[in-house]
Amino acid sequence: MAKSLSRCLRLLRGLAIATLLPMVMGAHAQDTLRVLAWPGYADPDLVKVFEERTGAKVELTFIDSDDVMWQKLSKNKGEDFDVFAVNTAELQRYIRAGLVVPIDPTGVPNTAAQLPRFRDRKGIPGLVHGNKVFAIPYTYSEMGLIYDRQQVTEPPTSIRALWDPRYRGKVLLYNGSSHNFSLAAQVLGDPTPFHLDSKEWPAAVEHLIALRRNALGFYSQPEESVELFKKGHAALMFANYGSQQLKLLKTAGIDVGYAIAKEGALAWLDCWAVTRGAKNMGLALAWIDYFLEPKPGTALLTRQGLANTTSESPYLRPQDRLKWLEPVEDVDRRNLLWERILAGDRASKVLAP
Amino acid sequence: MKFGIAIKLGLLLAGVSILASGLTGFYAYQASRDLLVQSAKTELLTTTKVLSSRIATSREEISRNLRMLASHPAALAAVQSPTAAQEDLLATIFERVMHANPGYFQIRLISASENGLERVRVDRAEDRLVRVQGDDLQEKGHFPYVSGTLKLPAGATFLSRIVINHERGAHTGLEQPSVILATPVTDALGRAVGAVVINVDLNGVFATLAADLPKDYLLFLANRNGDFLIHPDTTQTFGFDRGRRVLVQDEFAATRDLVNGKVDKVLVEVRDGGYAKTPVVAAFIGRIVQVSGDEDRLILGLAQPLTAVLEQADKLGAVVLQLVMGLCLACILLAALVARAVTHPINSMSQAVQRFAYQQQVATLTINRRDEIGVLARSFNHMQDQIKRQLGELQESRQELEHLARHDVLTGLPNRRLFQERLEQALARAHRSGERFALLFIDVDNFKTINDRWGHDGGDAVLRVVAMRLSAATRKADAVARMGGDEFVVLLDNPAHREDIISIAEKLLESVRSPILYDGQELQVGFSIGISQYPEDGSSAAELMAGADRAMYATKAAGRNSFRFTSEKPVPTTPSAL
Repeated sequence: MAKSLSRCLRLLRGLAIATLLPMVMGAHAQDTLRVLAWPGYADPDLVKVFEERTGAKVELTFIDSDDVMWQKLSKNKGEDFDVFAVNTAELQRYIRAGLVVPIDPTGVPNTAAQLPRFRDRKGIPGLVHGNKVFAIPYTYSEMGLIYDRQQVTEPPTSIRALWDPRYRGKVLLYNGSSHNFSLAAQVLGDPTPFHLDSKEWPAAVEHLIALRRNALGFYSQPEESVELFKKGHAALMFANYGSQQLKLLKTAGIDVGYAIAKEGALAWLDCWAVTRGAKNMGLALAWIDYFLEPKPGTALLTRQGLANTTSESPYLRPQDRLKWLEPVEDVDRRNLLWERILAGDRASKVLAP
Repeated sequence: MKFGIAIKLGLLLAGVSILASGLTGFYAYQASRDLLVQSAKTELLTTTKVLSSRIATSREEISRNLRMLASHPAALAAVQSPTAAQEDLLATIFERVMHANPGYFQIRLISASENGLERVRVDRAEDRLVRVQGDDLQEKGHFPYVSGTLKLPAGATFLSRIVINHERGAHTGLEQPSVILATPVTDALGRAVGAVVINVDLNGVFATLAADLPKDYLLFLANRNGDFLIHPDTTQTFGFDRGRRVLVQDEFAATRDLVNGKVDKVLVEVRDGGYAKTPVVAAFIGRIVQVSGDEDRLILGLAQPLTAVLEQADKLGAVVLQLVMGLCLACILLAALVARAVTHPINSMSQAVQRFAYQQQVATLTINRRDEIGVLARSFNHMQDQIKRQLGELQESRQELEHLARHDVLTGLPNRRLFQERLEQALARAHRSGERFALLFIDVDNFKTINDRWGHDGGDAVLRVVAMRLSAATRKADAVARMGGDEFVVLLDNPAHREDIISIAEKLLESVRSPILYDGQELQVGFSIGISQYPEDGSSAAELMAGADRAMYATKAAGRNSFRFTSEKPVPTTPSAL
């Protein structure tokens, strides 16, 4: 009797597992999660684990500049992607444009493992609007100066080094409109580099043209910067990807140093945000939650040389002065002017209406 | 089972032949299929190499144009001491070249000084050519195609990466796949003071590349990292530009070594991934770009659906199948014939054995064959003859033995045993038909005397003569037998009258009256005869024999050489009675 009862129970349990498991496991089955991220944010092996775990398919698109990301997301009002990685400053224009939707942090349980300063979302400018959380911090870096120790014997102390005629044709720069204008503003001594007033524009443009004339070239992706650095025997580089590039260059066998300028290094905090076009909020949150797990977190640290939000960064020193990115006064103007500068226009032409 | 061996042998032979022809056919098909695939691969490889050299040729043509433009005196003049006239002249030349080459998006003269300022620039905008001048001219010194070209010697070509052109103000070339080729303009000292730069529309180049290819060919081009630049599915090209890289090594795993530079060509048969439904054969080659620049290596590939390749193999397969079927049929027929040829003599032999065994019929087998079957047939014939002969001999000796058992060895007459049988037969016959017969017991008179005087040889000689005379004196139907010693008996068959019996008795007595010659002596014997008659003297053999015996002794007692009936007193009938 007892035997048949236990067999009956076992059968029931088997049935329950057989019917419930696919419901739990396959909650996201057949779904496609469209992710927009930066190089190194989601390695194929990590994505594969996520896909196996959820049964969903991940369609990953990499971008290498804020401008390109904005183009991609604003093109169809965010309908083309579900989740993306964006810095806190850039996030603001997406919120304004209504391209992102609030996130319920309880749907991302791994936030509990984040360092207190990242858990304090209200303490991070731009994350919370009217009690609604719009993004979950993922990784951050400062944009320091990387220099070739063979050519630059004294570590650069100021951003002005990028304009140094000694390094003419040996300076590598990032092809990003906002940061470059902020750099120019810093050199101009503006304490609010994210807010150029109308009088500052001509000077900023002049400075950026001068910077262009000093440049070896402009890169977009971390790997590309390494290739250009190596091939063009660069002396100095503005490292948009910060420690990530430093690690890549060292791995490539180049003797490089890293310096934080006295003006303060621009720094970004990238967060995961969910678009208004997200088809499956649960799956999007599962993605964010997964990348806060120890394994992806360690991958950020060890493979990419990037900091994660669950442990203290080994790359930052307490004395380093950081200028966290803020929304700029006019993204479109910076973008337009920058495209002209990059194309080689002279000042009069750049500033033309 | 009569057809057992024939069927088994036939099946075995047919099976072996079908297997042999089937296997031969299969391997012939397999081998030819492999050959076809191999030759398709080789053909693809050759075509790929041709395409590759076509790319090189187009590149060389552009290089020639570049050198022509860079070496034009107006180019150097426009860089060193620019005058409007020089620039106009150069612009006209640029326009002519662009007219002649619809694939050129742009031709520029860029000076090394002034941060790589463009001096003369002609763009293609829609269907017309636009000369860019004055403030619209841009500084390009920060682009690798300028800095890279200025490092090159005179006449050398710089090749940029193949990308989607995002350079603002590029007119028609904007957002199109393009490549930039440039060559330095050098002064009298050989220093690079400027560069002539041609921006080439790759859509056109790619289209010409694929133009002469057979319809079912798939063309692929990838850069050194494996990013597709040409792909039958255009959404797969320039993936890196959209943030989603699409790599040749992901689609064709075998090209990984090619991308890594470990090999310079790859021949593959792909039947997985996107090619699970329509497998293809493909050839890929890695080609080092012969000029310096950013695009130092390209991977070019061609694929062809396997079905197109195997169309011929399938035709061949059908022919092979028909051949195999035909062969199989022929084999079955042959097997049947062989089985019949082999089993026919065996069958006829076994029939012969059966006939011989059951009916002792001797059959003559065909023995003129020179093979094992001939030997077997000859042996069988020999054995058959031997058995037949031995059986004959056996029969003969058995008859002889039987004769010996029923006849007297000395006289050849039936002996007592045979006579008893005859007597019984005669009794039965007489009993049945009411016929009569008589029994004559004969004892040779004076035989003991002869025996004593002339020995057994003499006695035997007398007995042989007596026997012959008795036989001669009786009728064919009568039976004469020797009962032993000097006693004989005669059975007279159906005597009509008593007188007939008497007549015969007298004839018998008469037969021994003439003397018997032995060893030169004349010997004289006589007969004492006792006669019993059926049915008068008894109805059984014993009665008749006893009666005749008694009568014979009575005759002997009455003086020998006479006869007497059982039923009467001695009748002196012969005068010779003593």
